[in-house]
Amino acid sequence: MNIENTQSQMRKGILEFCILSVIRRGEAYPSDIVEEMKAANLNILEGTLYPLLTRLKNAEMLTYRWVESNSGPPRKYFSLTQKGEAFYGELEATWNELANAVHALTKK
Amino acid sequence: MKKIININFHSRVIPIEETAYEILQQYIESLRRYFAREEGRDEIISDIENRFSELFADKLKKGAACITDDDVTAIIASMGRPEDFEADEETASTSGAGQQGPAGSSTTAGTGASDAGTSGAGATGSSQQGGGWQYNTAEPRRLYRAENDKILGGVCGGLANYLRLDPAVVRIIFVLISFGWGFGFLLYFILWMVLPTRSLPAVVRKRLYRNPDDRVIGGVASGLAAYFHIEVWIPRLIFALPIILSVVSSLIGSAFWAHAHFHFTSPEFITGGFGGTLFIAYIVLWIVLPEAVTASDKLEMRGEKVDLESIKNTVKSDLESFKGRAKEMGTEMQDRFRQMGKEMGPQIKENIQNFSGEAGAYARKSGSGFGHAVGVLFKAFFLFIAGMIAFGLMIALVSLIFAGDGVLDLKNYILSGFWQNFLAWASFLLFFVTPVMALLTWLIRRITGVRSRTHYLGYTFATLWIIGLFCFITLAGMVMNNFRSRQHTEEEFTMSQPSHNKLVVRSAQPSGRIYDTDWWFNDDWDWKHRAPFYIFNDDSILLTTVKVDILKSDDAQYHVKLYRFSRSDNSRTASELAQQISFPVQQSDSVLSLAAGFAISKNQKFRNQQVLVAISVPLGKRIVIDNSIRSFRWFNFSGNHRHIHWSDGDEDNWDDETDLDNTYFWNSNVEYTMTATGLVRSSRLDREERPEQPERPEQKERPEQPEKKENQDQNDKQGSDHNGYRYQGPDKPAHKNNSDSPAIKSTTMLTVPYRGELSLLTALVHTL
Repeated sequence: MNIENTQSQMRKGILEFCILSVIRRGEAYPSDIVEEMKAANLNILEGTLYPLLTRLKNAEMLTYRWVESNSGPPRKYFSLTQKGEAFYGELEATWNELANAVHALTKK
Repeated sequence: MKKIININFHSRVIPIEETAYEILQQYIESLRRYFAREEGRDEIISDIENRFSELFADKLKKGAACITDDDVTAIIASMGRPEDFEADEETASTSGAGQQGPAGSSTTAGTGASDAGTSGAGATGSSQQGGGWQYNTAEPRRLYRAENDKILGGVCGGLANYLRLDPAVVRIIFVLISFGWGFGFLLYFILWMVLPTRSLPAVVRKRLYRNPDDRVIGGVASGLAAYFHIEVWIPRLIFALPIILSVVSSLIGSAFWAHAHFHFTSPEFITGGFGGTLFIAYIVLWIVLPEAVTASDKLEMRGEKVDLESIKNTVKSDLESFKGRAKEMGTEMQDRFRQMGKEMGPQIKENIQNFSGEAGAYARKSGSGFGHAVGVLFKAFFLFIAGMIAFGLMIALVSLIFAGDGVLDLKNYILSGFWQNFLAWASFLLFFVTPVMALLTWLIRRITGVRSRTHYLGYTFATLWIIGLFCFITLAGMVMNNFRSRQHTEEEFTMSQPSHNKLVVRSAQPSGRIYDTDWWFNDDWDWKHRAPFYIFNDDSILLTTVKVDILKSDDAQYHVKLYRFSRSDNSRTASELAQQISFPVQQSDSVLSLAAGFAISKNQKFRNQQVLVAISVPLGKRIVIDNSIRSFRWFNFSGNHRHIHWSDGDEDNWDDETDLDNTYFWNSNVEYTMTATGLVRSSRLDREERPEQPERPEQKERPEQPEKKENQDQNDKQGSDHNGYRYQGPDKPAHKNNSDSPAIKSTTMLTVPYRGELSLLTALVHTL
């Protein structure tokens, strides 16, 4: 068994949930999201983020708009859709379940 | 000082170092590959590039003149390399009917993420672990020719994509159909012309590849082994076994039965039988199967999940083995260079492509297509030829060993002196044995997969062989020297004139043991090529290098002249040896009896001693040469020319030295009369004079001979019943072959009936 593998799998499991949480709080663009997650001690690579965002967007969980900026290229600002909200709700419920379960199991 | 180029990067102009640009290119390329199957690939890459551009703009704004390598590397580090990305996707979109998007889910079963569009319903959870790649389900499936997976026209590649089969399988089926039923070719051409091309993605997970890392010849066997998850030596053995078996069996066969053919002279032993099918199958597979070059290829070859993890592991193990090999780099390169002599361009091309990294790995190696197939054929051909040469050497050696016992004894008659003997042994060992040893070692090494660290062994073998070559040449020179000078003696045999105006010439039977040399020479060889001597006893052999010539006599009397020839390195020894030849001739009235041969001893050495009996026949008189003369085998070495010229009495281009003027051609057992124009068959002459009388040649006495001779007599009578014409046709100088009975070739006064190999063994046993 590869410990890194397992760890990485654990992370992968909650990545989407975390990203959605960040976006839920307000419109964000990818760099911002990375910053916030780093602040929360969950380091994620930008290269990991972009595909995830695109997938979520393709699955209509997210939507974006272009914002022009004079100091650089236009940026995509993501926000949650209706579907996304519902999706997020589900995930939150699942997460709570899991957290409780794990907590219960590890406390003993 | 580095070159700077300006790039238009998302509608900004960015000055960037050329090397940095390369790095960026490669990174983007790797992203492209990584996201190849991803639905939103272009968008993702565009986003990432945008980010780059943004960061570049920042840097420039902060005052940098241009983007450097370090900048690019740093951004890549923060962005992350594809192999570090955690969000790998492996879902098929086919489950949600007609869904375009991928299911945004992770690959573990833990979260049970549901498919897009049906939130919460876990039923359509379609994260297939290692399922197929994504299909573009929007378009209806059509049959195309594959642009990027073609050997000839990409027909099979397209078919494979459409049918979701391994292209190699389709190709093999096509080959079978083509060669088995013929219409495959036609079908292929029709498809080639009819179908449009398209760049098709690979469809199948587990493909049959050749494995180039573990190859003896073409890596076909190890590719098969990887595909079926069996040990490597199993398919190797299957391929090699029939060949080995047939070679071994034909070797054994020819060792024990003299008339078994050495099949190695024709490719039958490879193409015949089951072995042949496998050989051809190997070559077909070699052409058809692509080589597993990239890491993902290798994983596909094994049917393992091609995801980042396994790719990483494969690359790691590749790197490690490469590191190990880098130590032997020097010898590896030598090895490769040596092989290059045999192999053609495609191999070199592949090597270069390997070294230049994975750029453009999408172009399938089989994209060189037809050239690849031809290259393989050439490679196979060269290997085949080389193998044949090596086998030939080996078989020569084996046959030498088998005949060695007899040869050893004979050796003493040719070689004299310490140096010649020494050189003979040296050249035998070094020239013959060494390549065989080298071949065996190489074979064993290849099969067991042992790689030699150094090439000392190879160099040693090569050096020894060259030394052996020199020894052989020197030896040949020395031996030829012994035949340089030629002398002869000449004397007249005092004879009395035969009473009936006819002279019968015959020879006596030898009483020694026969050196039956039929094992040396195949039955199919002309019988006149048999070795011309008998073993007399331990110290001497009996030579039958005797020739009988008929001349026209100057006077009215028969004359018999004996010429005895010998060679040596100087003329004095030559004449001495000639004098020493003892060839008794006796006459009792009409019958002239020649000895069966003459003996030479080990001391005298074999020096192409010859005896020429020149019989002069006066006009109007007759002469008959008996069949027993057939036992004489005349041959002649011409040692003083540049090449060895072996001639025997039947050839037209006789050596000047032994050519007597005005000899007449004669056939044995035929009575001739000397006329003014030369020898004429008595029967014909008589017939011309007395046409009414039926012709019968005189019944000649014959000494007791084995039953085969009786047959021959029968044939003689039958032949003569046809007015003296033999069924072999009119006299032709080239056909002195008395082909009356095939038994002739074995009748040469055998005291032991011809039993092929047994006689040799008996003879050898007797000499012990």
